[in-house]
Amino acid sequence: MRFFPLIFKNILRKRTRTALTIASIVLPLLVICLMGTFLKALDSPGSGATRGMFRLVVRHKVSLTNTLPKAYEEKIRQLPGVLAATNFNWFGGKYIDASARNIFIRFSVEPESFLQVFDDAEIVAGSVKDWLSDRTGALVGTNLAAKYGWKVGDRVVLQGDIFPINLELTIRALYTLPTGSSATLFFDRKYIDEAFPSFKGQVFTVWIKAKDAAAAERLPKQIDAMFENSPYPTKTETEKEFQNGFVSMLGNVKLLITSIGAIIVFVILLIAANTMSMAARERVTEIAVLRTLGFTRPKILGLILGESFVIALFGGLLGVLLFVAAEPSLKRQLMLTPMSSLVASMHVYPAILAFAFAVAAGVGLVAGIVPAVRSSTRSIADGLRQVA
Amino acid sequence: MSEPFIRIENLVKAYQRDTQTLTVLSGLNLAVDAGEFLALMGPSGSGKTTLLNLIAGIDRPTSGRINVGGKEIDGMGEAGLAKWRSRNVGFIFQLYNLVPVLTAFENVELPLLLTDLPRARRRKQVELALSIVGLTDRMDHYPRQLSGGQEQRVAIARAIATDPKLLVADEPTGDLDVKSGEEVLVLLERLNEEFSKTIVMVTHDPRAASRAHRLVHLDKGVLKEDIRAEGGKKEVGMAAAIAASAGFEPNP
Repeated sequence: MRFFPLIFKNILRKRTRTALTIASIVLPLLVICLMGTFLKALDSPGSGATRGMFRLVVRHKVSLTNTLPKAYEEKIRQLPGVLAATNFNWFGGKYIDASARNIFIRFSVEPESFLQVFDDAEIVAGSVKDWLSDRTGALVGTNLAAKYGWKVGDRVVLQGDIFPINLELTIRALYTLPTGSSATLFFDRKYIDEAFPSFKGQVFTVWIKAKDAAAAERLPKQIDAMFENSPYPTKTETEKEFQNGFVSMLGNVKLLITSIGAIIVFVILLIAANTMSMAARERVTEIAVLRTLGFTRPKILGLILGESFVIALFGGLLGVLLFVAAEPSLKRQLMLTPMSSLVASMHVYPAILAFAFAVAAGVGLVAGIVPAVRSSTRSIADGLRQVA
Repeated sequence: MSEPFIRIENLVKAYQRDTQTLTVLSGLNLAVDAGEFLALMGPSGSGKTTLLNLIAGIDRPTSGRINVGGKEIDGMGEAGLAKWRSRNVGFIFQLYNLVPVLTAFENVELPLLLTDLPRARRRKQVELALSIVGLTDRMDHYPRQLSGGQEQRVAIARAIATDPKLLVADEPTGDLDVKSGEEVLVLLERLNEEFSKTIVMVTHDPRAASRAHRLVHLDKGVLKEDIRAEGGKKEVGMAAAIAASAGFEPNP
């Protein structure tokens, strides 16, 4: 304890360098926290499942772009353990322009069955009745409405691409889901069916509300087996698996993120080690003087390692605190994007913070080891000779 | 006859430089009494600083024996030597070697951090050491806020903070102007006379050497001359110091 003031004074010896070193730890640590949290959110069970929603998604086995016969929906609805079923149909198109900023998810649905499967959706403005009674009505998530400043009664024009039609929709209700993932626009599929009769009888995905966990576990195999030898084989998965499927389209995202994290740790380790080596090299004589005064090798080792450790811990603490402070606004921003369903369950995970902090502490120790050992083992006479 | 405070027997120190062996001290014998003020002189490379380092326990001999204050230090381990130094030896360097980020008080307190003394006792010791060197009013100053002479006096306060019996000084006036150098020499004399410190001082400066009780002249690792104050005088005097320094060029 009595050597702490010496450690702190040495840390503050070159304030700019210390500040830059801390910054070089803080920023990567922020990224590690963010990536770790994202990975953890991907791995966490769907919040629906934990609340007994047990939603499943059935799609064509080959690709999401292949449609299924709508008759499948009826067959699935008849299966034991299925409480409700509905279909989602990707519209695509563009709103304002094709920039990434204006991309959001737009589905045509059958409102009545949609509300049965998503009976956890809360209507916070407008009414279900208004949406059901207006063929051009739209149900919009609160996050999406907030992004564009939409309110009930506003008109939204979507320019079609897959379906070459301009949809003129009127917002009839705003919804929010308990997960917080409320960034989608839903409209009545009759609008599409009337404009494109050829699409009638087809669906992109069938969404199911299973009765319970046992049904949710059994149904995927049962449904896929049922259609295995048909011209339209299916792939059935949980809502969470379906959402994570979009991430895996980018490749092995988990491996990618983990690899980037490992590289970041290695880079900050090099930066911190270089800084500590410089700090120790500049003080060769001073360390020799301390040893002359009676400071033993372990004490010198402790002083240098202590400096490295304190700098890294401070950087780690700052990085973690910054992430905790920034996470809510970061999540708010992500919830306005098409990634909203993926990040809906994202929150500050203590385990990720602890991991990031442990990384910082580890970097501090490892970075300080070489300069600390060198400083403590150099001959005193050699160290003193550097004065002359 | 009492046992000398420092007894050196057949001291050899050799360094290995690539394939060559460089012998710096060859079979040196020396005895220094307690309370003596000894000046070590000699040309560069004569082995003065090496001898000082060996006496102070910061280097190890190749062979031979070194006994300081009744303790054989040549066979001691690293940790044991560190502990022994912290209690028995005070160091004064040519370039003061204060820690720049510590105040004068904190610099003097450094060796006391290695003792079991509580904070209040450490403070008392530091204040006493700084009062001896006349710098009580500068205890909160950083080295950069002090003159060279004042820095060296803080370094002397650090050397005496643990009240060691032996002070070793390597060119203590080498980096000072005449006035500051004189102040440091007066201080060393006082520590020797009033506080009975045994002092071993390496110097090129005849003026500094003249203040010692005894002057040992080394050349090529062997003791060339051993001059003691004569005629009831305490100091060897300028004439002897100049004579001893003749024949070698002082370092700039």
